[in-house]
Amino acid sequence: MRTLVALTSAAVLLSPARALAAVDCASLPNPLYLQIGDTQEPLIKALGKALRESAVNPMTLVYVTSGSCTNIEAMYTGVKITTNPFYVPSTAEDPTWTPASASPSCVIDPAGHAVDLANSALFVSACNPSPQPPDVAQFQGPIQAYVMVVPKASSQVAITAEEAYFVFGFGAQGLVDPWNDEAQLFIRTTTKSTLLAWAAAIAVPATKWKGVRLDKSSDVLSSVTNSVAPEKAIGILGAEIYDGNRATLTSLAFQTYHQSYAYYPDSTSTAHDKKNVRDGHYVPWSPTVWLTKVDGSGVPVNPLAGYVIDLLLGRAASPAPDFQPMDIIISKGLVPGCAMQVNRSYEGGDLSVYAPAAPCGCSYESKTGGASASCISCTDDTPCGAGKCRSGFCEAR
Amino acid sequence: MRALLVILAMSAVSACGGGGHGPPDGGTDGGDRPPCVTNPTTHLELINACTTAQQIEKNPVLPLLLPDGGLPPLQ
Repeated sequence: MRTLVALTSAAVLLSPARALAAVDCASLPNPLYLQIGDTQEPLIKALGKALRESAVNPMTLVYVTSGSCTNIEAMYTGVKITTNPFYVPSTAEDPTWTPASASPSCVIDPAGHAVDLANSALFVSACNPSPQPPDVAQFQGPIQAYVMVVPKASSQVAITAEEAYFVFGFGAQGLVDPWNDEAQLFIRTTTKSTLLAWAAAIAVPATKWKGVRLDKSSDVLSSVTNSVAPEKAIGILGAEIYDGNRATLTSLAFQTYHQSYAYYPDSTSTAHDKKNVRDGHYVPWSPTVWLTKVDGSGVPVNPLAGYVIDLLLGRAASPAPDFQPMDIIISKGLVPGCAMQVNRSYEGGDLSVYAPAAPCGCSYESKTGGASASCISCTDDTPCGAGKCRSGFCEAR
Repeated sequence: MRALLVILAMSAVSACGGGGHGPPDGGTDGGDRPPCVTNPTTHLELINACTTAQQIEKNPVLPLLLPDGGLPPLQ
């Protein structure tokens, strides 16, 4: 049964694009061209479905996936999309399509098309990119955790930073049991946020990692899931990808340097609340960053890109969406900035206490397993004292 | 017999680490863990703050640790 579940899940993730009739990308309604990290594909598919069906501001998200560092350079230097991208279909086109389905592809203009909105799933500075052009701006979006995963058949439950240092920095010569087989260490290439974020977390530069370098998250997923040596297998993934595949993988609790215990991103191995990301007990996380061309006032040149950025950042968007973008973001395992209690300023940097201007912690908790006992429900500011009623709960400000 | 001692601790007991953050200068020692921090403000305090979250105690055997408990440089 476990094998069946694994194969089914992998098949969904890895299956080729659905065979809809070939369609020109330019003919899709209000296309917005994105180049994103593949850890963000679950979010873009879900958000894209809501936007495609929106009655107030319908658009079609057309996207390709690549490494975060590649995406940044594409936006900075104007590299066009030249391969046929994926797009989110409408219900009329494909009534059976859901964000869990493979996306269809469309035919790109032979001359290519500029990237309207690029994504980095970690701090841009971690990529050491070219200087940022003055007509490009970056916007910090929701937070994504990164995880180390093992097959369900593995007995391992946790890894310390010191263990990871020896496992991935020395390989078999690191002498860490059971992760002493470099053919069972499934990592990513050096432009990928997943590797760069973990590299910063364990102080092993991305170029020095031992293991099998894989291009896509789906490659790591299938390699770990189907390992012939499950006790020795370990891989790295974005939490978004892991959360969509919990049936086939186990994430390890992580204990960073100078920490006394290991923690999951969530409060327990089975929760979805990202409690430890929010409060600083789980440190391997990065902001998602969204880049687009802007005018002299810093306003996105492409209004569709500006609208999507507003949704991703939890800002007031005009027109107001006819769906709840924060619910989509949270459902994909991301943490809105307004729900964070800690912050950092560079990849792997020290954490500091963070007090968002418009906190949403109670609202976030209510959507991920239940609001804390200290959270007070409200319909206006009356029961909130000096606080503010926001999304049905009293928040501190 | 696995060389690692893994204990699932569901209680709110936590502890402080020592030293600074960043590239490691010390490994895990498996010794007594100091009490958790109730009002964290610094990085070290935040990662070792008191919590109701599930905690996992792990004391791995790391043969390549330096005599002082530090980590050797990468090659």
